Amino acid sequence: MKRRFALLLILVVAAGLLFVGCQKEDAAETAEKAASIKIGFIGPMTGDYANYGTLMSQAVRLAVDERNAAGGVKGINVEVVVEDSEGTVEKGQAAIEKLASVDKVTGMVGAVFSGVSIAIAPRAQAEQIVMISPSSTHADLPGIGSYIFRTVPSDALQAKVAGAYFAEELGIKRLAVLYVKNDYSQGLYEEVSKSFTAHGGEIVAVETALQGDKDFRTQLTTIKGENPEAIYIPNYVAEMAQILGQAASLDMDVQFLSADGFSNPEIFDLAEDDTNGVIYTGPVDVDVTPGSAGFVADYAAKWGVEPDSFSKNSYDGANIIMDAIEKTYSGTGAIDRAAVRDAVAATENYAGVSGDVSFASNGDLIAVQGIFQVVDQKPVQIGVYTVDGEDLVKLK
Amino acid sequence: MLSFLLLILIYTGLYAILALGQNIITGVTGMLSLCQAGFFAIGAYVTAILTVSYGVSFWLTIPLAGLFAAAAGALVGLPTLRLKGDYLAIATLGFGEIIRNVILNWDSLTRGPMGINGIPMPTIFGMTINPYKKWGFLLLVWVFVTIFYLLLKRLTRSRMGRALEAIKEDEIAAYAMGINTTRYKVWAFMVGAFVAGCAGSLQAAFTLSVTPNTYTFMVSVMVLCMVVLGGMGNHIAVIFGALIIQLAAEFPRLLGISSTVPPQFKQIVFGLILVLMMIYRPQGILGRKRVNYDQLTGTLEQESLLLRVRRIIRIGVKR
Amino acid sequence: MGSISEFFQHFLNGLTLGGIYALIALGYTMVYGILKFINFAHGEILMIGAYSGLFLFDYFRGDLPYGPLLMIVFFVAMLISMVISAVLGMSIEKIAYKPLRKATRLAPLLSAIGVSFILSNLAAFFWGTKSRKFDYPFDNTAYKIGDVAITPHQILILVVSFLMMVALKLYIDRTRMGKAMRATSLDQDVAALMGINVNQVISLTFAIGSALAATAGILIALDFKVYPTMGAMAGLKAFVAAVVGGIGNITGAMIGGILLGLLETFGVAVLGIPQGLKDTIAFGVLILILLVKPEGLLGKAEREKV
Repeated sequence: MKRRFALLLILVVAAGLLFVGCQKEDAAETAEKAASIKIGFIGPMTGDYANYGTLMSQAVRLAVDERNAAGGVKGINVEVVVEDSEGTVEKGQAAIEKLASVDKVTGMVGAVFSGVSIAIAPRAQAEQIVMISPSSTHADLPGIGSYIFRTVPSDALQAKVAGAYFAEELGIKRLAVLYVKNDYSQGLYEEVSKSFTAHGGEIVAVETALQGDKDFRTQLTTIKGENPEAIYIPNYVAEMAQILGQAASLDMDVQFLSADGFSNPEIFDLAEDDTNGVIYTGPVDVDVTPGSAGFVADYAAKWGVEPDSFSKNSYDGANIIMDAIEKTYSGTGAIDRAAVRDAVAATENYAGVSGDVSFASNGDLIAVQGIFQVVDQKPVQIGVYTVDGEDLVKLK
Repeated sequence: MLSFLLLILIYTGLYAILALGQNIITGVTGMLSLCQAGFFAIGAYVTAILTVSYGVSFWLTIPLAGLFAAAAGALVGLPTLRLKGDYLAIATLGFGEIIRNVILNWDSLTRGPMGINGIPMPTIFGMTINPYKKWGFLLLVWVFVTIFYLLLKRLTRSRMGRALEAIKEDEIAAYAMGINTTRYKVWAFMVGAFVAGCAGSLQAAFTLSVTPNTYTFMVSVMVLCMVVLGGMGNHIAVIFGALIIQLAAEFPRLLGISSTVPPQFKQIVFGLILVLMMIYRPQGILGRKRVNYDQLTGTLEQESLLLRVRRIIRIGVKR
Repeated sequence: MGSISEFFQHFLNGLTLGGIYALIALGYTMVYGILKFINFAHGEILMIGAYSGLFLFDYFRGDLPYGPLLMIVFFVAMLISMVISAVLGMSIEKIAYKPLRKATRLAPLLSAIGVSFILSNLAAFFWGTKSRKFDYPFDNTAYKIGDVAITPHQILILVVSFLMMVALKLYIDRTRMGKAMRATSLDQDVAALMGINVNQVISLTFAIGSALAATAGILIALDFKVYPTMGAMAGLKAFVAAVVGGIGNITGAMIGGILLGLLETFGVAVLGIPQGLKDTIAFGVLILILLVKPEGLLGKAEREKV
């Protein structure tokens, strides 16, 4: 019985592999003809972080659908392939491998978390897949290769602007930080504390939390005891909503400061009036960039939720890739991947929904930072800044 | 496609090594442990830290990773020895979470959530084993699977293996027979952890970067599933288990439907597989049906029926 | 740590966090006490309970202002979702656990993990992955005693978990069915021999445990929001609380939960352990308790059967 079962199993597995092997031939053929152009997306679609991947993938799907409705790229339909990374390196690797060897995508948007992006970037580089991350802010990412770009400012830039702005423009001397132990939040905390102290401020309390935590009262009570002028919370929406709500319930009346994670409108559903007064850094106001008001409306109409700033970055990333293909594709034959990469790299002052997009020579986003303050549950842009060396430069 | 298949086979190999280790703890000795992810993480971080910060050769870090993990295994094994069944599962799960928690918070050593990047590619005889080329690494991983398979198979047939199996069948009887159950149980944990640590070392060299959220409690659950679905105690079976789980986890991608079906689909199917397997083939795909001695002799003989009835009746009396 | 009021604030925070753990632990301990297996899907039943509570509450309340009427609507929504969860819990038991009652310990454990996979992913599929706000049915402005703040919600959590504990204890100690439950938990075979309908007892246990989970889910959701994976870690911590207190022991679950909440809070606030390590505190306590007193703080030592 046992042996028979084992034999049966081996047969099934072998048949499965063969079946898959045959499929591979088909895939190879279609890519040759370029009957359709494929771009990929990698992000967490299931598990604890599913919401981030879902929001961003919807933006990519929207960009592709709009392009196809307008006739596609040189008349060819664009297909989007969404792969689940579950937020882990292992599944991320499987995803890029599948995009590279089965779908043979020309470009991809993703991955979402820096850890995954860093692990898969060398693979994208080797396969000449243009990779544009909408949300990985780790300083090391763009340096990995010439095919690696991002439409999100690096920790370094956002943090330099933030630290200098808090100290100089807001005149804050004593700052407390409450960040979550993930790469995004810790990266921002590390860089902001550097630039904030360099501009004469003092970090009086640093409290951490774990991803997925919902109760922040202990940290807030401890911070309250230090009596800071402001609290910096560079986290994702789920945590920030909790922090703001619980700070209110602890009767804390203190200025909260945040980062681009705050630009997800979900925060206003979850934290409502507690968001009022929060000052945060983020991509330049959507209404200030031409054509972007339409994006928010279209996205909301199609998916029933509003996009966050990472979704805007994803949308721009997908469009930049498709524009590059449009520019370089002759209409017949195979896609010249090197040319597509060059066209992406040459992107300058692209008027995207996340603001003007230009890439530095290493593929990093040349960005300016908007500073926002929430008034009556609506973000209001109160300035646009960048840094020159360490000095804050006001653009608007 | 080929390179995608190779990747799956490489991960199958890595998981097979983890499962072989788990098999010694759970399959052979009968201890329900959920800590394999923790040992895996220790191995990966030992290799990452030693190669990146101290320039130690990758090959040297493999046994070191194993030894560090084994030490952790002893640390887990010793205090939890008195626990059984679910309690042991929860305590070891706790240890696994503690390990990840410490890695996440020990920023000066592990860079915390930022992870460690830039692990050098391993070289052998002047040749670089490039993980992106896959073939070399596939060979490397499966060489290790074979080595561990042979070693552990020998081990289970040795005096120690028989002692471990005796512990699984009946710990008290084994103790009465003069088997030092404490020592052997700790040994089992250390062996299982050593193997997992080596797998971690290989994984670090394969991904060339490590981050703490690779080693969640889900990894331990997956490894346990591999052992159970394959067939507890049978070394070949757990390697098969690893293959089955990998194929089950990747089947939407293998069939090319991953982008068209909802992403939750494969997780739901995976859950269904677990439930159905447990109902219809709890001994695993290759496992043999175990004779349940309790049922054979009748549990009622274990202590007098009268005693048990009296205990129940007492419920009615006491307040 | 600074002033006395900061100390009291920490104490209150820890107490209410502990109340939340206790609320979940009660359901856990109930099921474990009778069946002796970790129902990993308990957290997912809690999640489903919270979702149904949210939908029902939003559906019924219209634009009622704060007041007794809104509270009634809230409790009605809670009652209905308790029933829904109870039915769900019973069905899960029938389908996924009952066939495994005679199998090894591992089988129901893995089956439960499978069920929790299915439930949380179904929820993500049907209801989306975003967090949803569960509006308070009352004005949640904090009361202030000097510098110490406490919200009505925190008080509600403590009161409800205490009431639930008392009610459960009375039910198990004083009723016929409770007696049958205790008999079943002690020895299923003999209980059956003595005319107890074991299947019915187990079904009822699951129904009660799941209804408790729904209550806990809804009360927690008021502060922690509703999302598909809300049951996962909460369930784990609650299990730790249940084990610390003595699994299967109702009072123990309450004490274990509160103790865990206080230890986590004070470990961070007084001992200066980084907050990131607070899970280490929880599991460290668990392992320590298991070593010193494996049956838990209030559990009765079980004689090793030979």
